[in-house]
Amino acid sequence: MPNNFTLGKGELWSRRQLLKLGLSGAGVVGAAALVHSLNRESKSIVKIPLMEMDAGDNVTHPMQMLREFDYGTVKQENGRTIREFQLTAGTSVIQLNSAVAYNVWDLNGHIPGPTLRAKQGDRIRILFLNQAGHSHSLHFHGVHPAQMDGVRPVSNGSATIYEFDAEPYGVHLYHCHIEPVTRHIAKGLYGMFIIDPPTPRPAADEIVLVMAGYDVNDDNRNEYYAFNGLPHHYMHHPIKIYQNQLIRLYVLNIIEFDPAVTFHLHANFFDVYRSGMTMTPSEKTDVITMGVAERHILEFAFRYPGKYMFHPHQDAIAENGCMGQFEVIANNSQSLPS
Amino acid sequence: MIKPRYICLAIASCIIVSLSSCTGGTQTADNTQQPATNQTTAAITHSNHGGKPQININTAILSELDKFEAKLGVPALSNKIQANRPYGSPEDLVTKKVITQEQFDQIKDMVSVQEVELTGEAKDVDYMTKMGLMKGHLFVAQELLDKDQPKQAEPHIGHPVEEIYIDVEEQLNERKVKEFKTTLVSLQDLVKSSPKSTKVKTDFTASVQSVDGAIAALPEAQRSKPSFVLQVINSLLDAANSEYGAAIANGKVAEAIEYQDSRGFVIYADELYKGIATQVSQSNPEAHKAIEASFAELTKVWPSVIPPTQPVKTPNEVTQLVKTIELNSQKVIDKSSTQAQS
Repeated sequence: MPNNFTLGKGELWSRRQLLKLGLSGAGVVGAAALVHSLNRESKSIVKIPLMEMDAGDNVTHPMQMLREFDYGTVKQENGRTIREFQLTAGTSVIQLNSAVAYNVWDLNGHIPGPTLRAKQGDRIRILFLNQAGHSHSLHFHGVHPAQMDGVRPVSNGSATIYEFDAEPYGVHLYHCHIEPVTRHIAKGLYGMFIIDPPTPRPAADEIVLVMAGYDVNDDNRNEYYAFNGLPHHYMHHPIKIYQNQLIRLYVLNIIEFDPAVTFHLHANFFDVYRSGMTMTPSEKTDVITMGVAERHILEFAFRYPGKYMFHPHQDAIAENGCMGQFEVIANNSQSLPS
Repeated sequence: MIKPRYICLAIASCIIVSLSSCTGGTQTADNTQQPATNQTTAAITHSNHGGKPQININTAILSELDKFEAKLGVPALSNKIQANRPYGSPEDLVTKKVITQEQFDQIKDMVSVQEVELTGEAKDVDYMTKMGLMKGHLFVAQELLDKDQPKQAEPHIGHPVEEIYIDVEEQLNERKVKEFKTTLVSLQDLVKSSPKSTKVKTDFTASVQSVDGAIAALPEAQRSKPSFVLQVINSLLDAANSEYGAAIANGKVAEAIEYQDSRGFVIYADELYKGIATQVSQSNPEAHKAIEASFAELTKVWPSVIPPTQPVKTPNEVTQLVKTIELNSQKVIDKSSTQAQS
């Protein structure tokens, strides 16, 4: 387990970071705040480095997506907590690299769709509006009645409501289930759906990573791959994390056409919580195989500062865009345990 | 003058600061964190009091929503209801400021967000629209088969089953139309596995005949009534418009499937309009001129089934033409409904 830092606010906002915020370039639209929040039980503090939020093409937004969770609108009805989420399918164009533009189906203007998050036992209500031309649907993984399974087409211009209980806790997903499902998923209609356990997990820097593929010429093979929508992005813009900080990755593999990929982390080993459905890890490894739609919680902390890559160990897939790195920032004010 | 301006600036920059810190993805370690948007809503009752026919505001076509517009006397309310989708409850009409609480109280017995069984003309428009979409898909599939492009034709044979058939299955039974899913599926299988087979042609003809037969289940009088056909045309054009937008990237036709879908829908919509053009030109000459001219422009956008490298028109230009047709269709529909009432 990593150290739990108990620093004052002044120390957290270092001079360098403040300067960076002030001097950030034209592409910067915002910056993640350095968040240190109290966990009820452990009184521990999670440290998250300041990161530049590049604008991207506004449809992909890998930097924002890392730590952004949609908790919906909370309503009370008949003594129950209802979490209402709104998801609208639309059409947009993303830039896979400087030469390749690609038409996608987005959810709420983004690819991948928002990471929805609820607590086990909440009532979930999804308002789904289709404005994307073709018929689409949203199929949620989890336990629910057949009517809420989201396989019926919702025609262009119409909306539908999916309602079910959030169960069981774990890392789940949602995606369009209109055939050909490969195309409807690969073109963007998917996202992560996290159900938190009744007893919260320990405090951590929580990060979402969704692996996906792009078949730009409709040949049922992927030409490009990406973490969180944009090929190669985290290679050029590493994900900053703090040394010795517990990192909790929510990882989903939604790469169509390739039967399975691995997730590999450099210079470290991670604890695996399969499908996020346990409170204790089942194994420790540095490579985990994930079939399509498989997802896990992976936990680790880095002992040494520096840059560390992560990628599927199907190296062709990595080299076609599914590749990124963490930048571990030293915590100078803390003497390191050796 | 200067002072208030500075205050405004100060407030604005405060807002910017707070906004950027929000969008920056502030994560906390407390996983149970919830947004501050807690609100209490009254228990929603979905039951239908008084047995009045209900309208699903999430799916209803304009002519159905016109019943609210007529009852409340609010101009363009139907479009406003559509534009504010999706609704989680009937009361969302008020919370989303589409209508006032007083107005809502007058119509609430008729409002639903649940699946309701369509009746009357709305049901026929829905049915005919879905058949129209199938016709569009099959039209371009035929063109592609004729050009010896079975691989490109295949998705357009698949779409009617994958996206549409399940939604009209019950209606086909009710209307005593023989099921033709099997016909479509076997045609798709055939085009996939042995596109050169002579059976493709006969199976294709059978598929088209099935859809035509399903359309013929609607009364002839209905199918030639301008106000009815125009509703179908506009639903088709709406789908075509979205799909055309999804076909263009960086000033190029990037997605052949969506280009072809939109081509099929527009060609069939144009064909439907030709069937009622004489009637519309007599009843609404101005509207007719506008619709006819827009269709002439619109059909130029798809010069052939194989997409041109450079799009003829931008998605925005296509949207404008579709809107013009919709606006003028509305005039024709409004006129015929006032005549029907008087």
